[in-house]
Amino acid sequence: MNASTGWTPGNAAVGAAISAIGIEIRDLGLSFGSTEVLKGIDLTIEPGEFFAFLGPSGSGKSTLLRAIAGFGPTPRGAILLDGTDIVGEAPWRRNVGMVFQNYALWPHMSVAKNVAYGLNERKIRGDEADRRVRAALELVGMEAYAERYPSQLSGGQQQRVALARTIVVEPRVLLLDEPLSNLDANLRVQMRQDLLKLQRRLGITTIFVTHDQEEANTICDRIAVMADGVVQQVGKPDDVYDTPANSFVAKFLGTANVVEGTVGRDADGAPLFRAGSGLVVPLRAGEQDGPAKMVLRPQSIDFTDGTGPDSVEAGVVAAEFLGSVIRYQVRVGDQDLLVDERHTRGVARRDPGETVRIRLNHDQAVLIRA
Amino acid sequence: MQNRFQATMRRLGLGVAAAAILVSAAAHAADDKLVIVTSFPTDLTDVFKTAFMAKHPSIAVEVLNKSTSSGVKYLIETAQNNQSDIFWASAPDAFEVLKGESLLAKYSREVDGIPSDLNGYPINDPDGRYLGFALSGYGMMWNTRYMDAYSLPVPQEWSDLEKPVYHGHVGISAPSRSGTTHLTIETILQGEGWQDGWQTILAMGGNAKTITERSFGVPDGVNSGSFGIGVVIDFFGFSSKASGFPVDFRYPSVTALVPANIGVVANAPNEAPAQKFVDFLLSPDGQQLLFDAKIMRLPVNKNAYDNAPEGLPNPFDGSIKTEVNFDSDLSEKRYNVVNSLFDVMITYRLDDLRAATQAVQQAEAKLEQSGAANAEAAALIDEARALISALPVSEAEALDPDFNAIFKTKRKSKDVKVEGRQAEIEQEWDTKVIRNYSLAVELANKAAGML
Amino acid sequence: MTSVALRRPARGVSLGPYVVAGLILLFLGAFLVVPVLKVIQVAFQDPGTGGFTLVNFQDFFNSALFRQSFFNSLYVAGVSVVIATVIALPLAYFTSRFNFSGSVIIQTLSFVPLIMPPFIGAVAMQLLFGSNGSVNLLLRDNFGITVPFMDGLNGVIFVQSIHYFPFILINLSASLHNIDRSMEEAAQMLGSSGLRLFRKIVFPLAMPGYIAGASLVFVKVFDDLGTPLLLNVNTMLAPQAYLRISSVGISDPMGYVISTILIIFSVFAMWVSFLGMRGKDYSTTQKGGGGIARRDLRPHEAAACYLVVFLILGIVLAPHLGLLLLSFGTVWSFSVMPDGFTVAHYGTALTSAGTFIKNTLIYAGLAGLIDIVLGTAIAYVVMRTGVVGRKWLDHIAVAALAVPGVVLGIGYLRMFYGIDMPGTGQPLATWWGIIVIALAIRRLPYALRSCTAALQQIAPALEEASENLGASKFRTVRRIVVPLMAGGLVAGFVTSFATAAVELSATIMLVSSENDAPLSYGLYLFMQSAAGRGPGAALGVMAVLIVGLATYLSHRLVEKTRRDRSTPENSGGHR
Repeated sequence: MNASTGWTPGNAAVGAAISAIGIEIRDLGLSFGSTEVLKGIDLTIEPGEFFAFLGPSGSGKSTLLRAIAGFGPTPRGAILLDGTDIVGEAPWRRNVGMVFQNYALWPHMSVAKNVAYGLNERKIRGDEADRRVRAALELVGMEAYAERYPSQLSGGQQQRVALARTIVVEPRVLLLDEPLSNLDANLRVQMRQDLLKLQRRLGITTIFVTHDQEEANTICDRIAVMADGVVQQVGKPDDVYDTPANSFVAKFLGTANVVEGTVGRDADGAPLFRAGSGLVVPLRAGEQDGPAKMVLRPQSIDFTDGTGPDSVEAGVVAAEFLGSVIRYQVRVGDQDLLVDERHTRGVARRDPGETVRIRLNHDQAVLIRA
Repeated sequence: MQNRFQATMRRLGLGVAAAAILVSAAAHAADDKLVIVTSFPTDLTDVFKTAFMAKHPSIAVEVLNKSTSSGVKYLIETAQNNQSDIFWASAPDAFEVLKGESLLAKYSREVDGIPSDLNGYPINDPDGRYLGFALSGYGMMWNTRYMDAYSLPVPQEWSDLEKPVYHGHVGISAPSRSGTTHLTIETILQGEGWQDGWQTILAMGGNAKTITERSFGVPDGVNSGSFGIGVVIDFFGFSSKASGFPVDFRYPSVTALVPANIGVVANAPNEAPAQKFVDFLLSPDGQQLLFDAKIMRLPVNKNAYDNAPEGLPNPFDGSIKTEVNFDSDLSEKRYNVVNSLFDVMITYRLDDLRAATQAVQQAEAKLEQSGAANAEAAALIDEARALISALPVSEAEALDPDFNAIFKTKRKSKDVKVEGRQAEIEQEWDTKVIRNYSLAVELANKAAGML
Repeated sequence: MTSVALRRPARGVSLGPYVVAGLILLFLGAFLVVPVLKVIQVAFQDPGTGGFTLVNFQDFFNSALFRQSFFNSLYVAGVSVVIATVIALPLAYFTSRFNFSGSVIIQTLSFVPLIMPPFIGAVAMQLLFGSNGSVNLLLRDNFGITVPFMDGLNGVIFVQSIHYFPFILINLSASLHNIDRSMEEAAQMLGSSGLRLFRKIVFPLAMPGYIAGASLVFVKVFDDLGTPLLLNVNTMLAPQAYLRISSVGISDPMGYVISTILIIFSVFAMWVSFLGMRGKDYSTTQKGGGGIARRDLRPHEAAACYLVVFLILGIVLAPHLGLLLLSFGTVWSFSVMPDGFTVAHYGTALTSAGTFIKNTLIYAGLAGLIDIVLGTAIAYVVMRTGVVGRKWLDHIAVAALAVPGVVLGIGYLRMFYGIDMPGTGQPLATWWGIIVIALAIRRLPYALRSCTAALQQIAPALEEASENLGASKFRTVRRIVVPLMAGGLVAGFVTSFATAAVELSATIMLVSSENDAPLSYGLYLFMQSAAGRGPGAALGVMAVLIVGLATYLSHRLVEKTRRDRSTPENSGGHR
């Protein structure tokens, strides 16, 4: 097994005893001194779910994860594991597995000792412990490194040892604190698939903290987008992507054009979105009047040759080559918009300064109210 | 944070530097100066310094307090660029060492009332390198509370300290550590003879609770009650009593009065003020100051005793019995051998000596108790006792200049070849002494077993 | 490869480190090596002919007394380390583990034992624990037994353990503060808690600090002169050396032979501890990760902790309690308590204390500063540069630990008395600055240990980041390394400062004017007479208070620094 390209979770007998449990967080608040870092968090995580806390630095996602593990100040509110409130319970009594961002492998112990530690704490020693350590290391493809010391391992290897150390004790839930952030790009892609496979195989309820929406979207069943200590939106990745609850979510999950304006009526009384820039987009019937923001993904805007009623004239400002698409920045009036065009071989790029016409795919638009 | 830390360190640095400049600027500003190197406590020096400066306001007296041995070392090491004017200490030996190094200037004076000698011991150096200014005798001090608590009788003579009743209650310093103790030891040796003297000393040592590292450690221990009885120089006893400690002092009949001394350092930068100070010290005014409650020393000037405080004996009217005429030549000849022998037999092997002494004392007590005369046991005990006081070196050898030379690192000249090394000799003695002590324990136990 | 290598390969032609190393070497050479060599050369001279010889060393090993002394010293040093550990561990653990209301005070108080003024401390100990001291008088009156706390080697071990355990406490605490919090959390998450967690994870991670402290205690006890002397224990190496060097008239080369052996053995012991530490470099990039997590105590736990802490503090601070009683007591002789109380001793002491205190603060302060500058420079050159033979800087500096103060004092007089101060024409040896340098040299090993431990826990990447951003080596050290070492530096400064403030042996040789004399010299003056005991104790109390206050303020500074640094991190919500 090659250490640098990840591994495929083996079939070792680990996790046989893990039964998936649910987590419920009720009105959780937490402060560091006078700074409130978590405010009124309500979340329900289903048994066996692969769940992500997604948010930028300082959003409170790691603090929330640590609160579940029992680290940091005691929060207000309740955290129910399998229906039992664990707030105030000591970390070592929770049986909650956590993989730390920096792996936190103990440098004075070998890989095998690191992994055996939790078993020893549970009074499992001797052959039984050896067998389970071996199985856990096999599971993460590190059985050949049992006698090495952490300082002799690469980042990816340390990561896997940390994982083995956590799951060998068959915790009730698995908490992953930015587990991929210290890995290089290729390894990260490989690793996240491996994590997913492992989670599916063990069936363990898992929470994954990340600031990378791609990571969250690719492997998680559901995500909670967090900002400023508040959960902004919870849902399946595609649902959240397609119908963001606010402009923060819209922008944080993928790229989005968020245009400010007001909903009004056209001459026929049909609803109409009018941006300050003069951009006008027809809306589905039933939209209420008033100020609003419109979210439109770059792929929902097309370049067009026609001069149909729903097309407008724009000027190309800049272009970015992203591989499968070319992302243009165009300007309509004083409104900048991003437009994706699928890239095909042999087609020349539009030059900055060029005047083009774009068509807004208005049935893809999402309106956000105040 | 980092800035704050740096700022703090910077401020700290500035403050220290500023303070440093202030101090160096404030240093010295007087027309005449006098630097005195002394082993005497400030209780003594302050009295004389104040009185002298009142009389000679233009002279700024600076007192440098060092123990006798480090004072001597200091003068030797700084001789190349001497800054000291006067050396002022008790032990004549220290002055002899300095004299030997040619570090003392010649300055002698005749003062009315100061005799040239006391019982044959010259008060001033015959070569005029140093002068006696006060007399000190040696004796025993004891803590009265301690004696009550342990129901100990007050000792009268040195030989009393050999008695089993005092086992573990005696404190003494080592002659190699304390010039005054050396004089005590030498006094006993001269009073009782080489072999008998050592027997007394070893028997006392066998009763010792501890051998202190400094001479002041003895009065300190008695004052605290660490041990009950100490062998000390008189003023330690007098001044401790004067300070309120529950202690008392007496001279045994075998003692010597030896002067404490002062000498002008060779090449003294302030020779004239130095001589003025010596004059003042020997003047009637100066001699009176010795009666200060914290000092309590015996003046060398007979006339001073008219105003002596109650309880302070006058050595010139026979109120101190001195059966020994101290021979400082003899003392000087075997100086190092005596010191080394004391350390090897007592200081470094105190536990063994104590064990042997105790074993003999117990066997004797048992013999006495049994009442019956057991000649065999008595012979064994005598043998054990003899082993304890068996000396690895004879008096003649101790006085042999060649043998003594082994103990001096300063060779007189490059041509002098010395056979043997101190460490070698001491190891040889040590082996004998250890063997004798353990054999003594064996014999004493055997004797006790018979009774 | 992620192993955090401390030593980086020598880089080509960089001269800077060599210049710094050269300057340090020059300083150590002029103020430590040459003066000491000037004194101990006697060890290599044939006492008969004056020629070079090793026969004195042969004599040393042939002598039963010296062999016994050597093993006694070894035994006392070893057992003292064990007992000092037993004292230091709970204090370090409680103060770094729990939100203890008095953590700072406890850390300061437990530092105080290092500040034991010479002479007077011995008297206080005898009055309390001696065979006729307060404790034994009480025991004898009530139970008819006595405990020989202060007799023989046991007494030395007892006094040394409570005197030097702060070295372990300070270094261990610093190490605990530098442990990455996730190391501990990972173990808790796996079910570990309490003592087990401490024993299996926390303590092994704090090992570098512990070894640094323990080796310091070992060497210090091995070389220490004062305590055996004040207890009149002669059959140990250091007192043997001292007695032979400082006897009137006799200058047996064996004193210098023993000094040489002390120096060599101390360096050897330090080297062994270095070997023990090798490969245990647990430096983490998350410096200031808050150390192990502190938690609040439940009332009954707090009560238990306080009980343990006060019990320990009660024992280790007993000498100071004795000192306090002595300073206020009228006559204290063969009694549980002094006969009466008075403040008169303070009046007597104050008449002369002003100059002494001022001098002491300046001398010890300057010595402490010199020590942390030198200590940082040496630690940096040794650990972060490729200067050839850099280890020797460390060895030489540490050897100062083993140089008896008398030897250094005599060496200075020999070397600098002949040289005149530029300007004043006074001999250089009589300049007060020489006392500062002597103190700095004597205390350098303490500061160096702290600096080394602090630097060990800073990942080289942090420096590389700075250099990468264009900062020169010097600026990197000043702006990145030194601030990160702040805790260790303050610890080093405080240790040097506090112990230098009560140093006597070297200063007493070098004091050439009462105006320049430090406090310990004043103490010595008082302790020469029966009437001086009370005022001496009063002066001792003042010394302890002043040094204790300085220590307390330094601790406050460190704590504040640490808080300032860790707060934004925590509120950041993730680390």
